[in-house]
Amino acid sequence: MIYTLCIILFLLGLYGVLVKRNIIKIIISLAMMNNAVNLFLILLAYRSNGVAPILDPGMDPSILLETSVDPLPQALVLTSVVIGLGVTALMVALAIRLYHAYGTFDITKIRKLKG
Amino acid sequence: MSGMTGIVKTVAEWIKGFILFYGVYIVLQGHLTPGGGFAGGVIIACSFIMMELAFGKQRAEKELSEHGSHLLDEFGAIAILLLGLWGYFLPQMPFFSNVLLEYWPGSPFHIISAGSIPLINLAIGIKVGTGLYTIFVSLAEYKPELQEKEE
Repeated sequence: MIYTLCIILFLLGLYGVLVKRNIIKIIISLAMMNNAVNLFLILLAYRSNGVAPILDPGMDPSILLETSVDPLPQALVLTSVVIGLGVTALMVALAIRLYHAYGTFDITKIRKLKG
Repeated sequence: MSGMTGIVKTVAEWIKGFILFYGVYIVLQGHLTPGGGFAGGVIIACSFIMMELAFGKQRAEKELSEHGSHLLDEFGAIAILLLGLWGYFLPQMPFFSNVLLEYWPGSPFHIISAGSIPLINLAIGIKVGTGLYTIFVSLAEYKPELQEKEE
């Protein structure tokens, strides 16, 4: 099954989020989960020996529908990659602020709710 | 942050141009080959980030200053908006319509083809490259003491 890799990647990321205590490692795990979902969506659209989804003039649309890969998940994943980049930058910025406030990246020591 | 060892500096000095022009190549070939504005912009940003990591802040400021990268960032955003509005203000044309394709169609699978898509790719490449570099610079040079004094 080709989707096994996505599931393994996602579960590895989930393991990291649940078990690790360092905030940087949690951020890396969240990025891994993001990439696993992106890979899953791309694999859903994959078709072996498929052609690029471009409709040239004079081409029969039904033939294109049967042979081309699905362009919708590709456009969706392109947007998702950009959003993942923004979310990762936001998480890193929050981690930097937390480090300056507490002096540690360990989430078990960040519990004092100070400004 | 005064930079890394001499080995890293020498290698970075050699390959910075190759990385930058590979990014420009990916952006300009975006309508023909895999890649495009976002992927090429990330590679362009990587060349500047490598300079900052290898040489430190002063040298990276010389390559592309923070103010200049802000300006290029905003220029890219405005260029995308203008390219979209170009079709919007013409009669019988939707937003982001490919206006240039009618006047200058070119031939398929050449650099000058696909109308205004290469221009949009170029604008996205500038926007993503300088924007990512700005994010990196502002994360790397974040000074909380100054921030609190201003507040």
